Amino acid sequence: MNAALAEESLASYGVAFESARAVAGETEAVRSQAFARFAELGFPAARDEAWKYTSLRRLESRRFQAARRSADASDRPDVAALSPCRVMLVNGTVVDRSALPSGLRVRTLDEALRDGEPQSALLRVATGGGTERFAALNVALCADTVVVDIDERAAPEHPLHLVLVSAGAEAHMAHPRVLIRAARGSTAGIVLHHAGDDGAERFVNSFVEVEVATEATLRLYRLQAAGTRSFLIERIEATVGARASLLMHDAALDASLSRLDLNVRLAAPGAATELSGLFLADGARHLDSHVRVDHLAPDTTSLVDYRGVAAGRGRGVFNGKAVVHVDAQRSNARQTNRNLLLTPGAEIDSKPELEIYADDVKCSHGSTTGQLDPAALFYLRSRGLGEREARSALTRAFAGAVLSRMDLAPYAAAVHAVLDERLNRLLETPA
Amino acid sequence: MLSIRDLHARIGARNILKGVDLEVRPGEVHAIMGPNGSGKSTLASVLAGRAGYEVTHGTVEYLGLDLLAMEPEERARAGVFLAFQYPVEIPGVNNAYLLKAALNAIRRQRGEPEVDAFDFLSLIRDKMKLMQMDESFLSRGVNEGFSGGEKKRNEILQMAVLEPKLALLDETDSGLDIDALRVVANGVNSLRAPDRAIVLVTHYQRLLDYIEPDVVHVLSDGRILRSGDKSLALELEKRGYDWVRQEAAVA
Repeated sequence: MNAALAEESLASYGVAFESARAVAGETEAVRSQAFARFAELGFPAARDEAWKYTSLRRLESRRFQAARRSADASDRPDVAALSPCRVMLVNGTVVDRSALPSGLRVRTLDEALRDGEPQSALLRVATGGGTERFAALNVALCADTVVVDIDERAAPEHPLHLVLVSAGAEAHMAHPRVLIRAARGSTAGIVLHHAGDDGAERFVNSFVEVEVATEATLRLYRLQAAGTRSFLIERIEATVGARASLLMHDAALDASLSRLDLNVRLAAPGAATELSGLFLADGARHLDSHVRVDHLAPDTTSLVDYRGVAAGRGRGVFNGKAVVHVDAQRSNARQTNRNLLLTPGAEIDSKPELEIYADDVKCSHGSTTGQLDPAALFYLRSRGLGEREARSALTRAFAGAVLSRMDLAPYAAAVHAVLDERLNRLLETPA
Repeated sequence: MLSIRDLHARIGARNILKGVDLEVRPGEVHAIMGPNGSGKSTLASVLAGRAGYEVTHGTVEYLGLDLLAMEPEERARAGVFLAFQYPVEIPGVNNAYLLKAALNAIRRQRGEPEVDAFDFLSLIRDKMKLMQMDESFLSRGVNEGFSGGEKKRNEILQMAVLEPKLALLDETDSGLDIDALRVVANGVNSLRAPDRAIVLVTHYQRLLDYIEPDVVHVLSDGRILRSGDKSLALELEKRGYDWVRQEAAVA
């Protein structure tokens, strides 16, 4: 991209920022600073290692209007409820909050500020990594911060279904922002659900901060079903405390281009995380997942297992990194990435990385990318299964290892439904 | 039922079958014997439609159909079954699913309704008893972690459930101990029927102690050199394959 175009792109975000600043109130200074950081970093250059396999030129060339702050019922698409308690954001603004069980609180940015929460906690710019620029842009432009608190030792009966919707006929952008704090000893589940229609090209730049306090367990179910024409960039920053667990499931199923930076810090002794993911990059989808786990304390455990399927002109990217810091003795870091290419034009780039600075650790990583086993295909066909059914059965079997771990039935059903529909469509025309 | 005429096939540039003629009628059990590399498994694979083999000459007619023009699944639905020499392990696809999907594919072809879950289970239970297999097999991945003997038994179980018109058994006896061999042979014998033909491909005579063939053929270097009744198998056991080759050379 030439300099003039980059400048033009930046100028268009500048226009959006000027209107956001007009209503920023007390957060103006923080937002201005964040916007300056975004302007300084700009869009990633072609040689940027963090964006090696994902080009943002298409995104950079587009112009998006900031979404209207509206609570129009017409903007609320029909999203199936995955839990009785639900909070919905449309284009970055909270429009719907159902009754919540005791022990679980949800507030907006304004409410949290009124309650005396410091701006620095609500509007923090995460630093480092390939998505710092977008984390800064999010602070500059976010409409609401949804603050989710799970009280000490609370164990809400139902998970919270948090729906981030991008909808409407205009090419606009939204910057949803979520802060989840699981207090000491609590146990809860949250579904982080991106939904959107295909009415227009849109840009969703989401930032999610997660704090799992001592001895708390948080289950996070991510369902990325953004509109097929959407650009989605999401950064999830999680910190896990002593003897606490973050158990996350990720299903990246849609969007034209999506990038997830999932950064988990195992910050205190005994912290553990399990990150289990599936991405389905068919059609012309480009789905990029960057997963990084930092082991910062002794006796910490991480288990990362991502599986990717690509077909058509689809492209998948997986970058998994475990960093075992010098104090993190007796840590255990395991990482697997398996990928399946269903058609010859599809591509998946996988890069597992391991950095170890402690000496008494158990670490492993592995990555494979291949096609359906022709011997297995023939075996099934020789029993009378059509080629499409055989390919479908083998693809499901491949994804099944991740799907079978999804321990929230409505979430698993939603993922299965999308997978079934898409596999059926994509296997209609055998390779 | 099955007419193979002057069948030539190759893998890459290597000619394997060099003019096979074979006639199989309903109700018959044929044994195709031969030394390693004679083309036995190639013949079974070509009949089942495995990729990688090129038929360069000849025809295969099955129940009036041009078998070689059919996809593997079309052959299966028309009643052809291949028991694999090396059954494939398919983790994540369970045995019950495969059996049911296969049975229903064949039933649809015959214009029969799909089986319901209840009838399916009672059918499977009977056949599993016959093959002395534990019901826990059903929920396991296809052949996943099965021993050699379990895999072969699973092949015959599938055959018993699918009730093919033409069963091809490729070295089903290899790697079996004597007890497993008895179970497998018992399963095969229970499937002998006037409207069903069975073709056994085997290296050794011992399977034929348990499954008595109507016709024995000797395949060597891609051609059937000699055919006879079951006594031919015994003679082979005594005199070896070289004897047939020498006789053929003299003739």
